[in-house]
Amino acid sequence: MTTTAANENNAALSPILFEVIRNRLVAITEEMRIALQSVSGSPTVTEASDFFTGLFLPDGSVVSMGFQVAYHAPVCSQFVRHIAGRSAEHRNAAGHTASTNSNFAISDRDMFIGNDPYIAALHQNDVQMVGPIFAGEEIIMWAGVEAHETDVGGMDFASWSPRAREVFQEGMRIPCVKLVDRGELREDVLDMILAASRLPGPLGLDIRAFMATLNVASTRVTELVRSYGVTAVKDAIRRMIASSEQKMRARLAELPDGEFHGVDFLEHDGHENVLYKLHCKATKRGDKLTLDFSGSSKQAPGFINCTRSGLTGAVCGSVLPTLAYDMQWNEGALTPVEIIAPDGLVCTAMHPAPVGSATVEAIWVTANATMLALNKMLMCAEGYRHRAQGLSAGVMATFNLGGVNQFGERFGLHLMDPLAAGSAAWPDKDGVNAGGPITSPFSGIADVERNEQVAPLFYLHRRLARDTGGPGRQRGGVAAEVALTLGGIEEAEALVMTHGVEVPNGHGANGGLPGATVRQTWGRGAVENGRAQAANYEVLGPKPGLMRMTNRDVFAVRWQGGGGAGDPIERAPAAVASDVAAGLVSAQAAHAIYGVVIAHDAADEAATRTQRQRIRTERLGRAAGEPRAIDGRQIGRIGENLLQINTGGMTRVVSQAGAVLATGDTRWRQGAHSVTHREPPPHLAIKLHAELAMTSHYCPISGTLLAVDVHRKDETPLDDVVLV
Amino acid sequence: MGYFVGTDVGGTFTDLWVADEHGATHVFKTPTTADVQSGVLDGVVMAAEALGLTMEQFCGRIERFGHGTTVGLNALLTGTAARTAILTTRGFADTLEIGRLTRQSTGLNEQEYTDSYLRNRNPPLVPRHRIVEIDERIDVRGRIVTPLDESQARTAIATLSAASIEAVAICTLFSTINPVHERRLREIVREALPAAYISVSHEVSPSVGEYARMSTTAANAALGPIAGGYLSRLEATLKASGLKVPVLMMTCAGGVLPTEALNDRPVFALFSGPAGGVKGSQAVAGAIGIKNVLSTDIGGTSFDVGVIVQGEPIMRADLSIAGADLRVHSIDVDSIGAGGGSIAAVGIGGELSVGPKSAGSRPGPACYGRGGTEPTATDADLVLGVLDPDNFIGGRLKLDVAAARAAIDVRVAKPLGMTIEQAAWGIRKILDSRMADLMRRMTVERGYDPKTFALFANGGAGPSHAWSMAADLGLDRFVVPAAATVLSALGTAVSDFAFNTERATYVRLQGQRPITPDECALIEKGLREASEEVEAHLSKAVRSGIRVTASAAVRYRGQTHHLDVPLAAGAFGETQFRTLIDAFQRRYEALFGVSATYAKAGYEILSVRAVGTAALTPPGLTSKGATPRPGKSRLVYFDDPNKSHDSAVYHATVPAEGWAVSGPCIIEFLGQSVVVPPGARAEADRLGNLHVRLAP
Repeated sequence: MTTTAANENNAALSPILFEVIRNRLVAITEEMRIALQSVSGSPTVTEASDFFTGLFLPDGSVVSMGFQVAYHAPVCSQFVRHIAGRSAEHRNAAGHTASTNSNFAISDRDMFIGNDPYIAALHQNDVQMVGPIFAGEEIIMWAGVEAHETDVGGMDFASWSPRAREVFQEGMRIPCVKLVDRGELREDVLDMILAASRLPGPLGLDIRAFMATLNVASTRVTELVRSYGVTAVKDAIRRMIASSEQKMRARLAELPDGEFHGVDFLEHDGHENVLYKLHCKATKRGDKLTLDFSGSSKQAPGFINCTRSGLTGAVCGSVLPTLAYDMQWNEGALTPVEIIAPDGLVCTAMHPAPVGSATVEAIWVTANATMLALNKMLMCAEGYRHRAQGLSAGVMATFNLGGVNQFGERFGLHLMDPLAAGSAAWPDKDGVNAGGPITSPFSGIADVERNEQVAPLFYLHRRLARDTGGPGRQRGGVAAEVALTLGGIEEAEALVMTHGVEVPNGHGANGGLPGATVRQTWGRGAVENGRAQAANYEVLGPKPGLMRMTNRDVFAVRWQGGGGAGDPIERAPAAVASDVAAGLVSAQAAHAIYGVVIAHDAADEAATRTQRQRIRTERLGRAAGEPRAIDGRQIGRIGENLLQINTGGMTRVVSQAGAVLATGDTRWRQGAHSVTHREPPPHLAIKLHAELAMTSHYCPISGTLLAVDVHRKDETPLDDVVLV
Repeated sequence: MGYFVGTDVGGTFTDLWVADEHGATHVFKTPTTADVQSGVLDGVVMAAEALGLTMEQFCGRIERFGHGTTVGLNALLTGTAARTAILTTRGFADTLEIGRLTRQSTGLNEQEYTDSYLRNRNPPLVPRHRIVEIDERIDVRGRIVTPLDESQARTAIATLSAASIEAVAICTLFSTINPVHERRLREIVREALPAAYISVSHEVSPSVGEYARMSTTAANAALGPIAGGYLSRLEATLKASGLKVPVLMMTCAGGVLPTEALNDRPVFALFSGPAGGVKGSQAVAGAIGIKNVLSTDIGGTSFDVGVIVQGEPIMRADLSIAGADLRVHSIDVDSIGAGGGSIAAVGIGGELSVGPKSAGSRPGPACYGRGGTEPTATDADLVLGVLDPDNFIGGRLKLDVAAARAAIDVRVAKPLGMTIEQAAWGIRKILDSRMADLMRRMTVERGYDPKTFALFANGGAGPSHAWSMAADLGLDRFVVPAAATVLSALGTAVSDFAFNTERATYVRLQGQRPITPDECALIEKGLREASEEVEAHLSKAVRSGIRVTASAAVRYRGQTHHLDVPLAAGAFGETQFRTLIDAFQRRYEALFGVSATYAKAGYEILSVRAVGTAALTPPGLTSKGATPRPGKSRLVYFDDPNKSHDSAVYHATVPAEGWAVSGPCIIEFLGQSVVVPPGARAEADRLGNLHVRLAP
């Protein structure tokens, strides 16, 4: 509209033009998503939404991003910066006579491809393409797109090799290559890339989808600039970023100052079943947040590591959904967050460490630790406490299948069903059964029928798994489980790997227990002609790796449940009875963990009261006492169970029953009645790694469960909330 | 010819559209009643009176009675549908709850997606304890892997009778490939629960993909006893008043069906209102020779758009409601939270946003004087002079200008340091550009240039905002149909009979491999079965003149998304295959560009669909328009937030053919105000539709 352009200089109206342009940029990212999903050949893209689209400033700042996998935003930023840097290096080296024919020169309608984790990628399977968008002579923005490709070469199928000791053994690395030169596809380069993959068909289709996506972005942004002018668009982008930054700072300012710790573990590096720790220390002062990962384990000799790309991705993917859930996702929301991490950690691995499975190993668990720390901050803030939870979908287990499918084609399948883990409970509601991760708002899994139609699979069941949700006053979501064999073919090669078989990553909150650990089993000869046979199922460790699978074998796997919230013996007995009726909780677990006695499909109130008293007595080793009066003024709370009380100028942490747990600071664990278990309590579907222990902290008066820590058995649990 | 009557029940109003024997049209609105039916009857009485007839005389002369209603949708959303059980394959009872993980996000608006705290607001359609697993399994090729255990099935079904089940949905794996177990289970249920309404998945939603098929079958079962009851009551009451023709229901796919043909497919009519609106636009466009239409409707909380290309609405296969994803062949009506009630708010960064949060009708916009204090798009329209405070819905609701100004001043103007008028202008601008963004996306993503479309402005607020949305899209004009406020009702009165179904026909072709005779036979069989089913169903409504068209779902091998490509019903051989693939390639190129095509990958043909239609010719419409009456002019803000224009005001019902007027002016109808900006010119055609041509 001509008149709108005339209004550009009217400062008072800029909020309006700003909003109009902002909406349009968000719509463009959405149009990019549609283009990618429509053309892509990867079920990971089209069904599971494991992809990213975004727009960037020339300095790499995120302008607008899709709602899919947020982990990729900072990685794509880094790729844009890398290209600009290489281009500048080249110009300087060549003096002022630089030829525009150089593949490092940036021209209109160029597109660059890359997947090198030591430059900018989460792992090699995550192939990305970016292209500049010009307004006249000037690059006004970059468009970026990324998707997970099932196979990009390397020593093992699917490019994830538990055997790898160096990155050279893994999938091909494309540092930064111009694939489209001023609108012309470089077929020779494309051929070279496709030649490295076991699945050139899907990869070729996806590269075409990338090009279509970048074309959409370029056309739409150019139209936008034509409508409103370069100045207005640039100004609106600046304000978009400033606005998200302002919102993020305001949010941080509302949260309490202090130090918050999140610790999580992953087991088995592909070679040995050793334990790796990811530790996030979140320090919040005013409107600034520092995330320090220095306490994490050193890098591993196997493929579970991630590079610094992965660390920044993990931070972005956890900070946005946890703290920026109601604001536009762009650079501004990340500006107030600083990352501290020395080189050489499992989350900042140095070249040439292998990083093939980074996304589901080090990155996933780094995000876990980060979200745990951030939720502890939310737990201490009025207005946010109801949002504080434990951990959803602590693991993304892997089942890849390769070989020749029922159509006689070479195939590769990356099963997305493991996304159907349980999500964590909130203080005011249960977690979602098979709710999946919160880091990607649009995860999805394919129908069983669709999977069986296009892949040589045959499912015996896909259902919710009983007793997997972390017990709590609010129950964590239960996980799904599947059992499957081959359909239409006799044999194939399966890659089975995960972590979280011996680490309960689905931590609870406020005394809620963790959800179940992953249980993966292999039934040899367990099926004949699609019908289950009596057979012994071998329980698999975390990373059995490549396995030959026949149409007589069954792979049965149950994923992790979400963390519970609050003490399970405080759950409404009727809610437990209803869980038992729905098959989500067993009667045994109801009795032992929830203290609920079920009779005739309902909770027996009197028997339940007695059982719950008995549990409190067992916890304390004596009968629970009467609550004591709390004197002093309440000045804050830590979660649901702990009060901060000011008595005569001294701050104390006091339990609901009146037990004083800490004086002068918030390190309340010292005053709790703590019990460490080397073996997980019975009736919890949890298996603990040899190097792990669990400690339960109870109120010394009431026996109410205040927190459950999973920690190395040679370490004492950290005080996870230290308020200033 | 007798009367053609269309009725549509909305949340607030029940609309009636009547064409008399001479083709002259009349429009009526009555408040929607709690029982729905009496609101419809009120409208019929009102129409009879206006036409100078008794109820019996009027009903007796009705040649066609079309109907659309949200009764079914409301019943599903409020959990008041029939008590339903599901029978499914052993091992898969949690299919609905797991919901492919996407179910938990149904019902969230565009600003809520990123907030995981809001997920899973709506429970699954059927609770787990009413879902029963049956020992049976059929594989992807239709082979029986585990035979149906009838005694186990009988025992399991017996438990349902104790739970006073009113409806049973049967959905087993791969029933679309081999329905033998579903059919047998239906017989067993019929014996055990003779009173229960039964829905069988391979009939209701014959597509591969168990989650959507099960949701659709469950929704259909839950609606069966309710929708059937409601429709037969309505029909009985009207027949008692002399109606001689059946009540014809609008379906999601945009065709009408007699209630008896819908008794086993109530889910087909779930979204009759939006479909009726697009069909209304299609009919109006057809009458005046317009082929490409953006059919828009601005209501209180949402903005709905349907796209008509070359005279035919664009369709979609999937629908979502709060709590479920369904597979129902439907007119694709996309929607965002932008309407008259959309709330404007200033964020902490000083940015102004409008919607998706809505003030609804209670408290409603501040100017309604019902206690609303948050400024809305309607308040902005009032401040900008677009609405007359004394003539809103014909003066039925007096608007409070001071309240609107105060709300905008406090919440928007002061925080942003603007005048009230500038703030109101900004609210409108942002709302209009959001709506334009949606229309741009809906056309561009399908490979169409929005500039080749005519914008049809429907709904109460549509004609007030069309000028600005049209300009944003680069269009030079828009059309306000004479029946713009009751377009869904019109759609129900003039649409053809239509019924559709599909068949799974999975064929996978690697690279350049030629199609085999067996594969051709599979597709031909699917086409034949689908066509026969369509004809059988339609012949319940009409004796002759049934036309069947077909399409196939085609994609490159390895993709998940497909395109629906037209196909001749009948024989299918290699020639037809080549034609199909060529059409697919062309369509694909148009959508995603030449560089995105990838014939090397090969193809998959997933399913075929047959659509049967039978024309039900409406009367040639005429319009006995009248010259609009000039009213008192007022100041209205258009493009420039700092300058108002003294604008003529006209009061119109149906403007006479050839009546024309230049902007700036406002043409007020009952329930809508058409804004004609400076330099634009509005002209009525022979049917009373207003064509507004914007200044170049």
